[in-house]
Amino acid sequence: MSTGKRETWRRVFLLIGRLALAGMFLFAAYAKLKPQAALPWSVASVRTSLSMFAMQVDSYQLLSPQAVSMAAHALPFVELGLGLWLLSGLWLRYSTLATSVLLLGFFALMVRTYSLGLEINCGCFGPGEQLGKKSLLRDGSLLAFSLAVTICAFLSKRKRSESANSIPAAASEPQRAN
Amino acid sequence: MIRRNFHPFSGLILPRFAVVGALALICGAGISAQTHARAQTHAVANSDAATAPVKSLGNRNAPITMEVYSDYQCPSCGNFYENTLKYMIQDMVASGQVYFIHRDFPLPMHPYSYMAARWANAAAKIGKFEAVDAALWDNQQAWSVDGNIEKFVAAAVGQADFKRIKKLMEGCEVNPNASVKPAAFKNNGQEDHGCALDAYIEQDKLLAKQIPVTQTPTSVITAKSQRYPAMPGFVTWPILKQFLASLLSQ
Repeated sequence: MSTGKRETWRRVFLLIGRLALAGMFLFAAYAKLKPQAALPWSVASVRTSLSMFAMQVDSYQLLSPQAVSMAAHALPFVELGLGLWLLSGLWLRYSTLATSVLLLGFFALMVRTYSLGLEINCGCFGPGEQLGKKSLLRDGSLLAFSLAVTICAFLSKRKRSESANSIPAAASEPQRAN
Repeated sequence: MIRRNFHPFSGLILPRFAVVGALALICGAGISAQTHARAQTHAVANSDAATAPVKSLGNRNAPITMEVYSDYQCPSCGNFYENTLKYMIQDMVASGQVYFIHRDFPLPMHPYSYMAARWANAAAKIGKFEAVDAALWDNQQAWSVDGNIEKFVAAAVGQADFKRIKKLMEGCEVNPNASVKPAAFKNNGQEDHGCALDAYIEQDKLLAKQIPVTQTPTSVITAKSQRYPAMPGFVTWPILKQFLASLLSQ
């Protein structure tokens, strides 16, 4: 495969990858914030949803109640922000890197909880999903995909930098010859 | 001449009838009272068997209802009771904000959990659920070793109540999860047709299937006729309280 074709494929993969990751994070944030039990959207119903998410975070038995409350109230907004950042395509290397770091943290936490034998809800996409082999496989695959997108974003940047450097160099050659 | 009118029912006869009538009434009432008392004694014994166990605490009309599916021998359930439910009962159940319902979900992996559920149901039938429930959780580690639940139930209730509970436990003496299962046991040792209390446990398990509950503890919260998704696992009291408070503020 020629260098130009490879670069085109890399760009296509990067576009699909970042849009897929953005969609996933936006959906995860929506699932955590949306009102539960057929309640209408309101500040109070979102607060209830966040409190319910706090119970799921708490069931991991890792943080103190204060830290659980803080994490549960911040995480859906972090996911929302990350989703929008990925969607915008700005500073792509950093947004994909942040995504991979976050997914790595989630995955490590899930593996730890599963190995401890705690039978709890995953809380990944709202309530009702049990933490098990299926959710571990899904999150593991997402992490691998995110890492691939991150590597691709870094390679793409390096390629662009190399091309940008080579153009002035090529342009300066004839001048020197003259 | 003064003419005297003689009437057979005048004079002594009427008062005599009145006296006899009153006596008859008193005797009747006495006999009736005795019969009633005797009937009541039988009724107490029979009603224990007939009444459904009340495994709930608090005000039935509270704005929040919390059902907890538990296994008496599950360590996580014990932890949940000691560190969360106990405080909730003292706080929000006592103040009428939460109506707490215990649901039995004994897991086959725990050899004495079904037996413990029977004791709790027997106690619930005579209105002693709270005391026996607390005793079972408080001494979970002790009875989980040898299955001697009886002594903790006896210590939790008075002598008279324990006799009533024992009477209800007739036919339930054999541990359904024992390694040697009698022929009457079916469904992986979870059904003993000789124990009338098993029907209540099976009823709870049927409810669990509808949700569905797959592990213990699992909490199902209903507030203002809205049922929230089932929450499996342990939750600390401050976080649960935060959620319940947010429901109350809805």
